[in-house]
Amino acid sequence: MNKTWLVIKHEYLKHVKKKRFILAILSLPFFILLMVAIGFLSVIFQYDNTPVGYIDSSGILENSIDYQAEAPIGFMKPIDFIRYTDESEAELALNENNIQAFYVIDENFIETREIKVIANDAPDSSVNSEFYTFFKLNVLKDLPEAISNRLMEGASFEIKSTAEQKSANEDNVLVFILPFLAGFLFIMAVNISAGYLLQAVVEEKENRTMEIMVTSISPTQLMTAKVIGNLSVGLTQLVVWILFGIVGIFSLFRLFPDFQSTKIDFSFLLLTIIVFIPAFVMIAAMMAALGATTTETREAQQIAGIFTIPMVLPYWFMQVLMEKPNSPLSIFFSLFPFTAPISLPMRAAFSSIPAWQIIITITLLILFSIAALWFAGRAFRLGMLRYGKKLSLKEIFTQRP
Amino acid sequence: MNTIEVNNISKTFGSQIALDQVSFEVKPGEIFGLLGPNGAGKTTCIRIVLDIFKPDNGSVKIFGNGMSEGKKDQIGYLPEERGLYQDINLEECLNYLALLKGLSSSESHKRINEYLVRFNLDEHKKKKVKELSKGMQQKAQLITTLVHDPKLVIIDEPFSALDPVNTQMVKDILREQRDLGKTIVMCTHQMHQVEELCDRLVLINQGKSVLYGALIEVQKTYAGHAIHIRTEDQIPNYLPGMKEIKRLENHHLYQVDLDPEVFPQEFLKSLVAANINIDQFEIASPTLDEIFIQVVTESGMKYE
Repeated sequence: MNKTWLVIKHEYLKHVKKKRFILAILSLPFFILLMVAIGFLSVIFQYDNTPVGYIDSSGILENSIDYQAEAPIGFMKPIDFIRYTDESEAELALNENNIQAFYVIDENFIETREIKVIANDAPDSSVNSEFYTFFKLNVLKDLPEAISNRLMEGASFEIKSTAEQKSANEDNVLVFILPFLAGFLFIMAVNISAGYLLQAVVEEKENRTMEIMVTSISPTQLMTAKVIGNLSVGLTQLVVWILFGIVGIFSLFRLFPDFQSTKIDFSFLLLTIIVFIPAFVMIAAMMAALGATTTETREAQQIAGIFTIPMVLPYWFMQVLMEKPNSPLSIFFSLFPFTAPISLPMRAAFSSIPAWQIIITITLLILFSIAALWFAGRAFRLGMLRYGKKLSLKEIFTQRP
Repeated sequence: MNTIEVNNISKTFGSQIALDQVSFEVKPGEIFGLLGPNGAGKTTCIRIVLDIFKPDNGSVKIFGNGMSEGKKDQIGYLPEERGLYQDINLEECLNYLALLKGLSSSESHKRINEYLVRFNLDEHKKKKVKELSKGMQQKAQLITTLVHDPKLVIIDEPFSALDPVNTQMVKDILREQRDLGKTIVMCTHQMHQVEELCDRLVLINQGKSVLYGALIEVQKTYAGHAIHIRTEDQIPNYLPGMKEIKRLENHHLYQVDLDPEVFPQEFLKSLVAANINIDQFEIASPTLDEIFIQVVTESGMKYE
């Protein structure tokens, strides 16, 4: 069997077979599920479906239009609105727990905008807003239907960049979420894989097995196998999470039909993938180089943190990237190899990026990843037998292995 | 064809000269000693032979020409920095390393089990490597060095951290390997441990080769005209042919320097005539340690 393949298999199985890995892989979806479950539960426990009463002194709710209140979660019973004519009757109902609260609308509501709420425990804000929706509907009932509908629904804002055709509709939530999510997944993938890789290289030193390895296979084979093996571990983790995510999104679509109108732009996805691959290799190679130059896992992990900072930097400037996708800062961020993987997709979502910029970004990323691989190879050959002493940058560039 | 040919190799690390024009040959089927004190450059030399480092100057031939990936399967190397994968079980670790030396999976299992039994490690094979004692790890590492039946065995500091029982076991194994026709290179500063094993040797000090040749020749060259006597009796201050006497250690062992024209047999007669009970009588051949100190002192080098 090919020796490179043997090392890849060993590196991969070493992690994947461990209980720790399975726990790590399941912990994120479990955590998310737990958060969602807690969210649902808190809504379920907070929600009181006892009807509310109202006493209308203003006359606005005379011959009221029927309004079916919305329950926070589809299957729950919506709140009914019961009309009372005088307060003592409503109070009696309140004390017998037939209603959870009642609203008293002021005689001169149009001038005073006052609605009194009478309850033993203050009702949830969602109950108030449901009641207000019902009330608003009736305030507007004399207007032509088209106008009242407009007012009830509010406006839909469309963001349009001045120069290009591209536009983003605020209702199309995915346009906002996708670059954000893609970037987030990228950073996760990079951190996980790079972490494994870093560990795999330093571990070879900590265990003093480097000499045995390089007298069995070539350093290049060893390095290649380690990179592939450990990136595969990170990718496995990522794929499992993405699968969980897809399942999650589909179940979200079922629960909230509003999302179904959203579309995913495939050229955007393609661009994202083309940018991510060389960036992934670049950062992985740098981690490997770091592993080869340092002597302890803990020390290496601390330094590795520094690489994450430029990667997450674009999130701090997200507003600029989205509102002014063609400003110099945005262009710089999308060209600079460390910030490009997050910035370019973000810009692409809000504006059409000129082809030359995309070409420069990708070329730069590929050049940087090749340089990083070369650097890692050198650092590896020079640093592999250094114990207890760090390898300096100068040595990597000047010394003969 | 020599198994290893080292021609004038030099290597510097920064400003430090690790090796300076070192040359030697290792012949097939011999036990070769690469000797010298700590920091002499032995390990650097081995790493250059194994193509882990590139020499600044000079060349190395192994099995007739340069190092190749295929040749790595014919070499068993026990590095000075001992190490195994600590986090997996012993059997798994040994098998992985054996597969990397080109053994098939079934062959590697078979041979490793034989060695585990022989080295009394059989009951520990399911334990994680880090749970094993240092001595056990040493033995396990020796399995890794020999399991693929290499033509050339290179061992750096073979006896470090071994107790006398295991030291003897390693010596026996090395002899056995030589009898199987293997070439063995031993690299150590414990010169007294290898002098009974080595056929030929090179002595390195401060990166330079100071002595090179067959052990017997070397010992002959540096042998003085002296004998060792062990006796519980008092030796008179003067006996015919005796130039000087000194007491070695505290075990009634003496070294007697003889007059150049007196043969040891004649001196033995004088001892018998003096009615001295002799427990031991032998020609004093210098130890490698002594030879080393002599060579270094004569050449005016520092001995660190």
